[in-house]
Amino acid sequence: MKRKIYILIIFIFFSSFFRGELFDFNHKVFAAGAAAVQATIKITICGNNIKETGEQCDGSDLNGVTCSSQGFSGGTLSCSASCDFNLSACTAGGGGGGGGGYVAPITSVVFSGRAYPKSAVTLLKDAQIAATTVAGADANFQISISGLAGGNYIFSVYSEDNKGNRSSLLTFPVSVTSGATTNVSGIFVAPTITVDKSEVKRGDNIAIFGQSVPNSEVTISVNSDEEFFNKTKADAGGAYLYNFDTSVLEIAQHFTKSKAAQNGAISSFSKVIGFAVGAKNTLTQVPAETAMKRDLNNDQRVNLIDFSIAAYWYKRSSPPASADLNSDGKVDLIDFSIMAFYWTG
Amino acid sequence: MTKIQKLKIVLAACLLSFAAIPVFAAEIFFDAKTRELKVNQLFEVGVFINTDGESINAVEGKIVFPEKLLKLKEIRDGNSIVNFWIERPKVSNGEVLFSGITPGGFIDKQGLIFSVVFQARQAGRGSVEIREIKALLNDGKGTATNTSISNLELVISGPTPLETPSLTGQAAATPPPVVENKDTDLPETFEPMVASDSAIFDGKYFLVFATQDKGSGIDHYEVREKFWAGFVTAASPYLLQNQRLDKKIFVKAIDKNGNERIVMLPPQKPLPWYRHYAIFGILLVLIVVGFLLKKLWSRHFTKNREL
Repeated sequence: MKRKIYILIIFIFFSSFFRGELFDFNHKVFAAGAAAVQATIKITICGNNIKETGEQCDGSDLNGVTCSSQGFSGGTLSCSASCDFNLSACTAGGGGGGGGGYVAPITSVVFSGRAYPKSAVTLLKDAQIAATTVAGADANFQISISGLAGGNYIFSVYSEDNKGNRSSLLTFPVSVTSGATTNVSGIFVAPTITVDKSEVKRGDNIAIFGQSVPNSEVTISVNSDEEFFNKTKADAGGAYLYNFDTSVLEIAQHFTKSKAAQNGAISSFSKVIGFAVGAKNTLTQVPAETAMKRDLNNDQRVNLIDFSIAAYWYKRSSPPASADLNSDGKVDLIDFSIMAFYWTG
Repeated sequence: MTKIQKLKIVLAACLLSFAAIPVFAAEIFFDAKTRELKVNQLFEVGVFINTDGESINAVEGKIVFPEKLLKLKEIRDGNSIVNFWIERPKVSNGEVLFSGITPGGFIDKQGLIFSVVFQARQAGRGSVEIREIKALLNDGKGTATNTSISNLELVISGPTPLETPSLTGQAAATPPPVVENKDTDLPETFEPMVASDSAIFDGKYFLVFATQDKGSGIDHYEVREKFWAGFVTAASPYLLQNQRLDKKIFVKAIDKNGNERIVMLPPQKPLPWYRHYAIFGILLVLIVVGFLLKKLWSRHFTKNREL
């Protein structure tokens, strides 16, 4: 008995300790409503005179490289605005060249990462659409924006899969340096997720599917009293499917979400999709994206227009049902929080 | 082992468990806990949030300060983590109310909500307090998270040596000098949008707009709907006077340093060319001028021939 009690104490202590470690989320990036993201988004600044990974040079920091080491006989090596070597003043023998003009430094941010093959990727700057692009067949994308002032920004990225389902919003604060290029790399957009049944007969399978990076390993979590984790592999088009046997689930409401991993990088968790385990099968009638109550003006977007409509009714009596998202008879901070979760820009 | 000993061990285990389990609580705090000041001294107080690892997307509350001791000179929200203010920080009766959202959520240990520049009015002791704080999780339900606060204790002495006792037992900080805001950047570019919804303005068209200014923060907006009319101060959502939407709309964002950015929204329902009566007016003028020129020319030509 005594030994059991000591084991219990040690177990509680260490489990608490490690929980404390796991909940230390410093410098990690989060997705909407998801748990901590293991993936690291790397931020480097081109223009801070410090050569960082992915840069050949940065301002005066040429990483010890000279024209001579690049195979020229002489001249002066410099660094371009994009942090690549500028060899134009290196000489292979002969006379020297003239001086160059002053090029005003540009403040810009370059985002790169992975979404879904040929998917539309949207970048939000302080919650408003700043740029969109289409990812390549390998799901890689790159977006560049310029003309910014130096300061703190909150950028968000989301993508839309080949079925029109949107990913969760991946949000990250970035401090932009005036006159420098900030590189934000390693963005890994969370998979999309859908289920084929809104209610499934206990013991039958429910199909959980969506899209992610081609050939990535997708982990699917089904959350009830006990959390079940299952793995499947996305195909060459990024599509994944897992038929989950519901015989292990209680008759109740359950939730599922997924995340993807590839080459050591891991995405955040997807949106959370609910389904019921009951006595009958009911197919999912409409995609989860439609019928969004938080989309106040029904334009399939949750953006400044919806915010403005809700703001009009903030603390006013008798708001319309469309603006009262939690149906408590008033428009307050909770309604705005719900809207912020489903934000599309 | 006696029953009492066993009970003690179990109790200790429980206490240990409670002590070690992390309790999430977003903390709203100032950038200092104590300040020692002199009368007439300016100082800036930043209001920050530590989300404690949770994703927070909405926050509101108020900052209460002793009006007898402090005069609020300026509120700076240029580099705020809040993207949209439901209630932009403003002062009223010794309180600064604020409420805003960060779509997609925010996680950080020291996210700036806004900062306030105060001037010490008279000697004394007091505190700047954070009250009625709400921080909501980015979970799609608006779940309130636990919050904790840290207030700011102040000791203001006369212009000459301290007349009041210093904060005992605390390393009271002398505030750094207030940095003058030399913001010369324009507010960020933005795209106003026209919309209509039965929920507001009886379904009439309205204009929405919002932008940021990383230097000094947005002061206000102005709208101009007609070419010959002036700009009028406006807030989003703005009920449009020209419901035909056949004219350009200009929106001006002005920051607290007076830098202005003007953006133009083209007509949402442009008139067909034949409805532009100005075209007919110009054509008519051209025809009249042409006719007159022709008449003058023919008269001149006839005169020369007679000579």
